[in-house]
Order: sequence, then C-alpha cells, then structure tokens
Amino acid sequence: MITSTRNGQSLGSKGWMAHVIAWSLYFALWCGVGLWARAEVSLTEYQVKALCLLNFIKYVDWPPSAFGGSNTPITIGLYGESKLTAALNAAVAGKAVEGRAIIIRQIAAADDLSACQILFISDSESSRMPGILDKAGALPILTVGEDAAFTQNGGIINFVLKNGSVRLEIDLTAAKKAGVIIHSRLLAVADVVKGKAD
Amino acid sequence: MAYANDANQPFKSSGDLEDLTLEQLVNLKVTSVSKQETDLFASPAAISVVTADDIQRLGITSLPEALRLAPGMDVAQINPSEWAVSARGFNAEFGRELLVLIDGRTVYTPTTAGVYWDAQDVVMEDLDRIEVIRGPGATLWGANAVDGVINVISKSAKETQGLLLSGSAGSAEQDAVTVRYGGELASDLYYRLYAKRSDMSDFTDISGKSAGDPWNSSLGGFRADWEPPSPNVLTLQGDYYYSATAQPSVLVGLAPPATTLISQSEYNQGGNILGRWTHDVSDSAQLTLQTYYDHVEQNNGFGIGFVNSYDLDLQDRFSLGSWNDFMWGAGYRYQDVDDTPTFEISWLPQTQHIRLFNIFGQDDIKIVPNRLHFMMGIKLEDNSLVQWDYEPNARLLWTPAENQTLWAAVSRAARTPSLFELDARLNAAAFQPAPPSPPALVSVFGDQNATAEKLLAYQVGYRVAPTKSLSFDVTGFYNVYEHLLVQIPNPTIIQTSPTSTHLLISSTYMNAGAGDTYGVELSSQWRVVENWRLTASYSWLGTSLTPSSDFAHSPDQQCQLRSYLDLPCHLELNGAIYLVSRSSGPLATGFEEIPSYVRADLGLIWSPRKWLEVGIWGQNLLQREHVEFSSQETPALTEIPRSVLAKVTVRF
Repeated sequence: MITSTRNGQSLGSKGWMAHVIAWSLYFALWCGVGLWARAEVSLTEYQVKALCLLNFIKYVDWPPSAFGGSNTPITIGLYGESKLTAALNAAVAGKAVEGRAIIIRQIAAADDLSACQILFISDSESSRMPGILDKAGALPILTVGEDAAFTQNGGIINFVLKNGSVRLEIDLTAAKKAGVIIHSRLLAVADVVKGKAD
Repeated sequence: MAYANDANQPFKSSGDLEDLTLEQLVNLKVTSVSKQETDLFASPAAISVVTADDIQRLGITSLPEALRLAPGMDVAQINPSEWAVSARGFNAEFGRELLVLIDGRTVYTPTTAGVYWDAQDVVMEDLDRIEVIRGPGATLWGANAVDGVINVISKSAKETQGLLLSGSAGSAEQDAVTVRYGGELASDLYYRLYAKRSDMSDFTDISGKSAGDPWNSSLGGFRADWEPPSPNVLTLQGDYYYSATAQPSVLVGLAPPATTLISQSEYNQGGNILGRWTHDVSDSAQLTLQTYYDHVEQNNGFGIGFVNSYDLDLQDRFSLGSWNDFMWGAGYRYQDVDDTPTFEISWLPQTQHIRLFNIFGQDDIKIVPNRLHFMMGIKLEDNSLVQWDYEPNARLLWTPAENQTLWAAVSRAARTPSLFELDARLNAAAFQPAPPSPPALVSVFGDQNATAEKLLAYQVGYRVAPTKSLSFDVTGFYNVYEHLLVQIPNPTIIQTSPTSTHLLISSTYMNAGAGDTYGVELSSQWRVVENWRLTASYSWLGTSLTPSSDFAHSPDQQCQLRSYLDLPCHLELNGAIYLVSRSSGPLATGFEEIPSYVRADLGLIWSPRKWLEVGIWGQNLLQREHVEFSSQETPALTEIPRSVLAKVTVRF
C-alpha cells in the first residue's frame, strides 16, 4: 500500500541536508544583499506623522506676529494622549529646523495657545476638537489633525491613513483665516486641497 | 515588551530619515505595531499572528495557504479546492479538532466536523490579520476548539476606503479578479463593497493524468462600520458565495454489485449576515454583543445538504478592584440541518435541530501586577446532541523582565460528535466475492449514543527578546485524549434490505479511541537590518493513538524560513521555504504514505507608483510537483505543481 511518488521525489536524509545547506548559502547571499541595499526604511504611523510635522515647518510661512524674533523657537503643541509625543520627541532630539529650535509642549484645554505655531490634535480628542479649533482658528497657528471631520471643523492639515500610507488633506480657507501661507510644494503632495488661498 | 511601540525608540540612522522628503513620507507604507502584538508577547498561550503584510508579500491567495505561515500549523493542499489543516496532529480533510472563525462567525460545520475551505474564500487584501492559537481555547470559544482556534479578522471599512482592483493570472493555479470600493456614507459611517471571482485549473495525479478537479469561486459582500467619537462601534457585514468544482466520486451499486468512479459536479453556496456592537465602558471594561445568521448549502453531486445557523453572543469584560480583570459571556446558537438521503449517504433523522447554550467566566488575577498573573476560567456548554459539558482552564503567567515571558497552562476541551458520526449511514463500496457468496456491501454507521471526545492538555511556553530586533518563542505540550471516535468493525451479517440479499461488512463509530500527543514548537523573528526581516520556525510532534490504524500519520517534523527584503527602486523580494517530513493521508483504498517534501516560494513586488503594485511569484520552485495530502474520495494521490503567479493591484 505504501508507494512513493514518481521522479524519486521522496527526500532521504541526505537530500534534506543538501537542501538545508544550499538554502543556508542562498540566505547568506541574501544577507549580503540586504546589508548592501539598506535603502527603504520602515516607519510606524506616528514616526511618519512626526517627520511630516517637522517638514511642514519648511513649507509654511507664519506672519511675523507669530514669533517674537527670527531666532524664536518653534513651539509644537500636542493636544491629547498620542503616540506622536514619543515619536516627535525622538525625531526632534535637540535639532533645529530652518534655524529655529523646536519646543514640544503638551497642551491642556484651558491653556493659552498663542505660544504655539503648530498645534496637533490627537484623534483621542475628537469630541473636544471643534472647541479647540474654534479657539485656535483666529490665531496664527498651523492646526494639524487626524480625524475625518478635522477640516470641516476648521482645521488646516489633516492626516488620513490610506492604503497603509499617511496622506494629507489641506484646507486653504482655514489657512487663510489663520494667516499662514502654505507653499505649493506642500500642496503638491496633498491628496485633497480644499478652499482658496486668496 | 519586545514588540512594544517603536515610537518610543530613537530613530536608527536618523541622518537618513531627516533626508526623507515630504513626497517620500506620504508614499511610505507605514508598519503598524499594534497593541495586539504587545499583548501577544505577554500572552499565556501558544499564539501567533499571520499579518496582512505576510499575505501581501508572499502573494497568498487563500486562507489555508495563509495558515501555512503560522508556526506549528500543518497545512497540506489536497487539490485546487481542498486543504487539510490541523495543529498538533489529527490531520484530515476535515481537521476535526480545530475551530475556525471568520470575523467572529464559526465556519466549522456540524455535519462532518471540520471546515470546507473551498467555501471560505475572502478578499485577501481586506484581511487585517489571522490569529492562530495552538492548543485548547474551549473556555472562551467552546466545543471543538480542541487543538487550536483560528480567528480570521478583516479590516474595518474605515481602513479600506477607496477603490481597489486586482487581477492575477497563474500558470497552474489561480486566475482571479477582485474589485473593492470603500466610501463614507455619512460622518463616521464607512462602508465597503466587494466582489471576487477565481478560477483554478485541475491538477494531475501521480500517474500524470488530469485529476479532473477544476474549481471556480465567486464571492460578493459588504461591510459597514459606524465609528463615532463616542465609545461605541457598530458593525454590519455580510457576504454571499458560490463555488463549483468537479471531483472524482465513488458511486456504489448493489445490483450488480459495483463501486464505480465517476466525475461529479459539486457546488457550495451560502451567505451570512452579522451585526456587532462594541461598547468601551473604560480602558479596562468592554461590552460586545454579536449576532449572525449563516446559510450553507452543499451539493456533493449525490444530494443537497443545508445548514442554517442563528447565533447570539454576549461578552463582557471589567475590572474587579485593582487585582482582578474579569470576563464573562453567554451565547446561544440554533442550527437546523437537513441532508437529502441517497444510497451512498443516508441520515436518520434526516433533519436535525441543534441547540447550543453556553456560559463562561474567566478571572485574571494580578498576584504581582505586570509580573505574575494567574488566570482561571470555565465554560459550561449544553448541546442538544450530547450531554452538557464543562471546559475549564488555568494559566500562570510570569514576566520576570519586560523582554521575557514564561507561562504554563492546563486546559480541558471537548469535541462534539459530528452528525455524520451520530446519524449517518455511509455505503462506501460494493463488490462481488467468489460465488456462491451473495454480493457484499461495505458500510459505516453513526451511533446516536456517541459522546464528545475529551482532551486534557498541559502546555508550557517561554518567550524572550534578547534585543529589540530579535525574539524567540518556544512551546511544549502534552495532550491526553479520551473517548476518541473511531470505527469499530461489526460482525459480518446477511441482510435482505435495502435491496436484494447481500453480505453487510460494516463498522460503527464508537468512543473507543484514546492516546497522547506531545511536541515542541519553536519560532523566531529577526529584523536583521531595517529593511530585511527573517522568520523561522520548527515543530516536532509525537503521537501515540490507539487504534493507530484509524488515524492518518501527521508529519513528525516541520520547518520553515521566510525572508522579507525591501530593495531600492520600490522593489520587495520575498521568499519562503517549507520542509515537511513524511506523513500519510487517506485514499479510497486506505492510508497511503506521503513522502517528505520541500516547498520553496519566491516573489518580487514592484510598486513604481503609489497606486500601482505589480508582483510575480514562483511557487513550489524546487520540484516539478509534489504530494501534500490526499482525499478519501479519490483513487490516486494528486500533485501540487510548480507554478508562476502574476498579479497587478491598483488602488485609488
């Protein structure tokens, strides 16, 4: 009753060893390729969001009234509990962008927002988002969020997860109201641009 | 924990990352390190997860093929539409000791005890993950979660927004087209609609002839999720499928006595609709209410069988002081099953009504918070087919350090006899012995006094992550089975019904089997460099079951190595190799030895644009063909060919 398949496909112990050795060599070769080709990186969602936030600084102009002087640090306010806090702290780590130092501050509901140039509202605060956007909307603050209703409520830049990538949604009407100018390079990478700047 | 959030870590090679432009950032595929992964590492069970990334990278087109990736799983393809899937022994076309749920809906059939994999097609791109738990999960999931539980979990509609089109063509296997569209109906109310059609050509048997087993499958469905900011999530989902295949089947006749092999057209069709409400009371308290209706219709060419299931489930989790996390739940399922009697298979009664009620409670006691936990739980289950049963488990979890977990568990589980083992009569063959003997009929009888099979399982496990990028997992188990259902021969008698006078050579299912299985399962994950990841696993299984002639021999050793490599120019090179030692599988003539085999898959994916992905995979590259398992209904072993699969995916 016991049969073997044709072509002698049954592998004896020698066959196994040969395969194991051949594949070990193959993977060793692969290892070399892997070390050589460290090109693409893999980042978590919040690492990408943190890096995006830092990039925004390069492509947004604030009115002079937003800063005390040309060396005044940029303050990024974070509203709500988020993994972004840790990711942003790691990304900034004492660096400066466009000649300005970066300060990261956790913001509470009652806090004065006028010290912030960027305000990130975590999706954990969806219910309080409209209120805080009302408060920030009239100030020269670049508001950034991650909620489907963020731009409807007056937010400027919204992060949207689409097919595993962090994509951008920008509302120019809100930007105009806040008095911040968004460069075309940033607009070009956004999936959705709403409203008009002028 | 080892898999804990990478966001807390300073960036490696931060020089490179600063240079990432906005364009690159918004096109980067993000890796999600979920809470589940953290929980996984500190879980007192032999649990592993097959991720959406694994499935996409290896060009996997079906659920059973995805399960091949889970350490310790025994997945063997029989033909284009059938697989034998099991864990820790008992491999069979219907892996009777393994419970499978898709989005909380059981797909384990009460008729034959097992899963019809050809009726479980899904849109692979919409899967979030497959959680594979080896060992009993009966306290939470109930009867039939004996050697393992598989939870297939799809993405929420919110995560599958936009249009997805994918088409694939293969040299031997799979031509498939998938369309999915996801949108937002109203604020916080998301939906997706999908349809998929697959066609597979037939394989060949070991004599080189066509096995005559092509398969096609059509699937359509929807999912809607309402995720308001409030602590409620509502989900409604449903789908409908139709799959058709041709299979060699045995036709039995007494006048004249003959067992003829014919090609039968078979089909499966069915649909289901499921609603779920999840309410987060607080971080540590959650209430889930779920209900579904599931309809399955199967035509095996001889007769049609129906199973209608109505299910209601409640689960509640809360903290009891600072020391206890308590979970309890209750469920009710009603199934009506109807099978058309034929000469080959008849059922008495023809219609069965199965009522299943269960209630469970489990307490997680923090003896030393975050260091030493003790868990204890029990499920009480009342099934109208058998006596009520209890399925307790106790687990101890020790985390001496954040990167180490030690656990031990003792659990009891039960498998409900299938309707086939309770109510059926199978006329398997007929032949003419030397005259003057009358013709002979070979039959198998179910026994309505059959009771549930029982398992007492002992497990220990250890996980360690020496560095952030390297982790190991080892599990050992010892299983003691009692009351296993096996076929016991009856004395041969002369009968005058159902047709002319004949000899009846028969056997009857009885709870007369018993035995032990034991084994060790090892797995390891290593992120060699940022863009290169390796996964390896090895499992060893020992079985001693009596009567041994009643059980197929599962492979003693299995080994796999997978490599995921990201290359420049938007390329990904992924490969997997599986080594499986010899086993045996059932044929119409008895158990047949299946030689050991090595299977190697290699694939290249190119994503030149954010909306476009092109992939090509070579499968079974080392051998022109090999046998993995067999089916009782076929006369010869069917071979899995070497194949090439090309796939284009477009996302907007």
